[in-house]
Amino acid sequence: MLGPGVAAYLVLSVVLFATGALGVLLRRSPLIILLALEIMLNAGNLALIAFARRLGDGDGQIFALTVMVVAAAEAVLGLGLIVAVSRQRADLDVDRLTTLRG
Amino acid sequence: METTVLILLPVAGAVVLWFAPWLTPRAAGGFALLVALAELAFWIGTALNFDFGSPGPQAGADRVWFADLDVAYRVGLHDYSLWLVGLTAVATAAAVGYGFWVGRERAGVYLSLLLFLEGATVGVFAAQDLVLFYVFWEAMLIPLYVLIGVWGGPGRLGATVKFVVYTMAGSLLMLVAIIAAGLQAGTFDMTSAAGRGSSTWIFLGFAAAFAVKAPLFPFHGWLPDAYRESPPEVAAVLSGVISKTAAYGFLAIAIPFYPGPAEDWRVPALVLASIGLVYGSLLAFRAPDVRGVVAYSSLAQMNLILIGLFAANTSGYTGALLQMVNHGLISAALFLLAGAIERRASTGQLVLLGGMARGRPVLATVLITTGVIALAVPGSSAFAAEFLVLNGAFAVGWGWAVVGAIAIVLAAMYMLRLVSAVLHENVGSAVPAEALDLRPAEVGVIAPLVVALLALSFWPAAITDRLSGALF
Amino acid sequence: MEALAWTALFSPAAAVVAIALAGERIDRFAAGVLAAASTGVSFLCSLVVFVVLLGREHDDRSELSTLWTWLSAGDLEIGVEILIDPLSVFMMLVVSGVGFLILSYAVGYMHGDAEERRYHAYKALFVFSMLLLVQSGNLLLLLAGWGMVGLSSYLLINFWHARREAVAAGKKAFVMNAIGDATFALALFLVIQRVGALDFETVFADAPEALGEGSTVAVLVALGLLGGALAKSAQVPLHTWLPDAMEGPTPVSALIHAATMVTAGVYLIARTSPLFELAVDVQELAGILGAVTLLVAGLVALVQTDIKRVIAYSTMSQIGYMFVGVGLGAYGAGLFHLMTHAFFKALLFMAAGVVIHALADEQDIRRMGGLARELPWTFRAFLVGSLALAAIPPFAGFFSKDAILSSAANAGTLGWILWAAGIGGAFLTALYTFRLLFVVFFGEISPFAREHLHRERFEGPLAMMWPVAVLAVLSVVGGLLQIPGVWHAVDTWLEPVVESAEEATGITATFSILASLAAALGGIALAWVLYRRPGERPAAIRRRYPWAARTLEHKLYFDEAYDAAFYAPSSRLALWLGRWIEEPLVLRSLGGLATGVRDVSDRVAATQTGGVRAYVLALAMGLAVLAVVFLLVA
Repeated sequence: MLGPGVAAYLVLSVVLFATGALGVLLRRSPLIILLALEIMLNAGNLALIAFARRLGDGDGQIFALTVMVVAAAEAVLGLGLIVAVSRQRADLDVDRLTTLRG
Repeated sequence: METTVLILLPVAGAVVLWFAPWLTPRAAGGFALLVALAELAFWIGTALNFDFGSPGPQAGADRVWFADLDVAYRVGLHDYSLWLVGLTAVATAAAVGYGFWVGRERAGVYLSLLLFLEGATVGVFAAQDLVLFYVFWEAMLIPLYVLIGVWGGPGRLGATVKFVVYTMAGSLLMLVAIIAAGLQAGTFDMTSAAGRGSSTWIFLGFAAAFAVKAPLFPFHGWLPDAYRESPPEVAAVLSGVISKTAAYGFLAIAIPFYPGPAEDWRVPALVLASIGLVYGSLLAFRAPDVRGVVAYSSLAQMNLILIGLFAANTSGYTGALLQMVNHGLISAALFLLAGAIERRASTGQLVLLGGMARGRPVLATVLITTGVIALAVPGSSAFAAEFLVLNGAFAVGWGWAVVGAIAIVLAAMYMLRLVSAVLHENVGSAVPAEALDLRPAEVGVIAPLVVALLALSFWPAAITDRLSGALF
Repeated sequence: MEALAWTALFSPAAAVVAIALAGERIDRFAAGVLAAASTGVSFLCSLVVFVVLLGREHDDRSELSTLWTWLSAGDLEIGVEILIDPLSVFMMLVVSGVGFLILSYAVGYMHGDAEERRYHAYKALFVFSMLLLVQSGNLLLLLAGWGMVGLSSYLLINFWHARREAVAAGKKAFVMNAIGDATFALALFLVIQRVGALDFETVFADAPEALGEGSTVAVLVALGLLGGALAKSAQVPLHTWLPDAMEGPTPVSALIHAATMVTAGVYLIARTSPLFELAVDVQELAGILGAVTLLVAGLVALVQTDIKRVIAYSTMSQIGYMFVGVGLGAYGAGLFHLMTHAFFKALLFMAAGVVIHALADEQDIRRMGGLARELPWTFRAFLVGSLALAAIPPFAGFFSKDAILSSAANAGTLGWILWAAGIGGAFLTALYTFRLLFVVFFGEISPFAREHLHRERFEGPLAMMWPVAVLAVLSVVGGLLQIPGVWHAVDTWLEPVVESAEEATGITATFSILASLAAALGGIALAWVLYRRPGERPAAIRRRYPWAARTLEHKLYFDEAYDAAFYAPSSRLALWLGRWIEEPLVLRSLGGLATGVRDVSDRVAATQTGGVRAYVLALAMGLAVLAVVFLLVA
């Protein structure tokens, strides 16, 4: 029943989140950015579940599940977009994908 | 129930057309026309079953939307809104028919937008909930934006931006007013007495939206460009029907809900409307092109209608409502005729036109008939309406009626100038000798409007007798 | 009987609809015949109604018939209703009778015109509108007919719409009449406010109490109605449209601008006499303006060179007489003159039409001359018309004009002033009428006429000649309906509706008759001296008084004055508004709102670089800032 305290989970979550955020900010490949985004989401999930366990009610778990569903949908869309874009252009560099600028 | 059908039928038609781009223009046009005619037929059915004696909204529906704020899908028709819905159905059917015949690019999308516009407009006339009213009000703007911006003339972008910015500015103020009014009253129900109030600011918020859209002088900056740059059938709907939603707003919301402020602001409003009436008439008299004359005459007529509304007595209201229907038919017919003339001469500049009556009897007859009804020759339904409006204004103060009487003379001047410049004297340099008379399809679209006007001229009481006086 | 009256009203309307719908499927000739026949039906119906009424008791000759409600607003309800009473039947007979003759004439006159059908449809539309005007049972429907005769008049004046002058004349006529319509409508608003209804019966019954005798309100109502009457009847100061209206085809001038429509003002004053009698000053003003008009028109007619314009001015002056009559309360005399005038003026126009037709559409009398030998029957018809117009006994005009003058002589000081004007007018009338007759028909045949004269089997098509003959007979015998001291058929007939003022009797009457006769004969004699053959004398007079000739040729500068006072300023105002208000203020500066929004949005849009990482960075920084803020606040 007992394991590491909630603080340990939170630390892991923060590390994961920071990794993901750095990935999003620093990498140029959309594929990697997407990956990094997923890491951030899962960091959030981890925190949610840790708290759920600590507080002993299911709300956090439900949230985590919802986030997973949304993440899955988002991954589908994101990957689809990346494939579509990669068909149009050879290089996949987000700094050059600026067609939608104002 | 019937009201819901009247709103949803054209919207459903629009959705089908939107998602069926594979349809040939012919099939899409035929379908759109069918939907528009079905709407008209359904309106006739509703009108036949309508109980004109009873004051409340009829044939309605009531479904809770968000219960906390008492916002609901409440629709229903008063006797006065019934006539405006009929006007919408007739004018849109003509516009769809004309658009179909002219053959716009991407006909399916184009006609789909027109049908959506019809649904939204009917919604405005039918809504009995302020939030719903606002939703329909804004929904009208979307198709108009695209219709003018994509299918308009060379200056369409400027015209669209102007139109949208003007109307948005007005309607955002209305949104604030609606929120304030609804929270104050605890309900957005337009039929409940709780909606009545005495707040000047809320009244002005409503008035801003309606004054821009009508337009009341001097809020008409968007009008000349929008009417000149739109495709003729869109201009027909815009000036024939959409402008009436604003007059309807004054008639059904601003004035009856806020009687106190309306009374306080009556004189300024009458002053502005009187100026607008004369001002529009004078500018119409000097406008260089067909559409300019019709556009400014439309400004003048709308201000006349507002005079009737702000007179705030039975005669003024009745006349204003009758004139709303009349002017809707007149200006739809005139814009479609302007389109027909521009197709033949490829310009609307009056100096380049002339002599089109020779060998084109149908065009001449239709234009002259519409023109003389537009200038309210005694005996026409427009005259009946103007008579009531000015009679109502006279009861408020004789000065308003005198201004209106001057405008009657000015109306004769600008309309006859238009008719003569197009039809009479020497053949204009832009009029090719082989330009045809009105084609059967054009007659089929425009003639019903003119016939409706003639019928109303024989029997204006068909409308004036069928107003329960719920408002008055 | 009611059904007959309605048939009389709607029969021409049915013809309009039939011709309009048939388009090119109907034969041109058939269209003309249809229009004429529909008017003939109206005439027959009116005749029967007349006979029926004649068979009834004196004060049982009025009937109101309503078909449906035309317009309503609250308590105000206005029906499509006609009033059948001696006055309206009298007018129906004149309108449909003379109308029938002129429409028949037009079948011949317009034969071969490119747009004959349209013409006949307009003509029938006019007859319908005119009948609506005279039959209407309330003021609003009267105003409707009032406006629609103006409309049909407009349509017919610019019938030959390729001609610039015709188009301008049509617009002018319509706008002038719209001014009258506007004042008419304002009077009605006042009536509604005070009485609450517009049907004749209620209004006339309640008016004395609701308006008050001689009150400001009564004066304003009467002024409004008078404005309408002046515009429609082309009386000073709203008269300038009538001479220009001669641009229309001649039968139009005969029907609308001589026999029927322009006399509507007289009918209006007679019909609404209970209202005018509440404002006697205004009624007298009508008489005074009539007297002014008859002198002005008589003077201007002296120098006109267009055959139809001369007759047009004579129309104005004769209507001036009618206004004098009704202005002094001599309704019977005024309406009697209306009827005889319809006969002889239609006759003159139609005879002039034969001349114009024979001379290939030439209207300038300076190119005519010596036509008596070439067109002997037309000459005779014209002579009859001229004698009737100059009021020579026993022609129709004599009796009716005498009735007016004799009533004036019995109406106090103002009456005598108007009487004097009438005598002066009689002199002028005879002078210009016979000037026209001598110049056109006497002397040697002019070179132009010799070259262009073309005759068909007769002097004109038969369809044109027989109505002329009928009218010539009526112009001779029409006056016998009312012989001073013997019988007063018209006065008696109209009595249930309008009481007629007493005419002078005895020595005054004899004096009046002799004076007017002397004036007329004097005028003819002067015309004989001056114009019997082309000579130097008119030109000499003109040289001696160049300013007078110039003033008259400019029609006393009314057109110029109106142009300078109204048209030019409003046109300039419109241009000024367009340039200085609409363009800079409404379109540009308020329109600047639109451009302003676009500028701002351009600048904001520039921050949207499209680079995703920049967005993310902004997001992260925003989050960081928020976090700091929350920490500080907490």
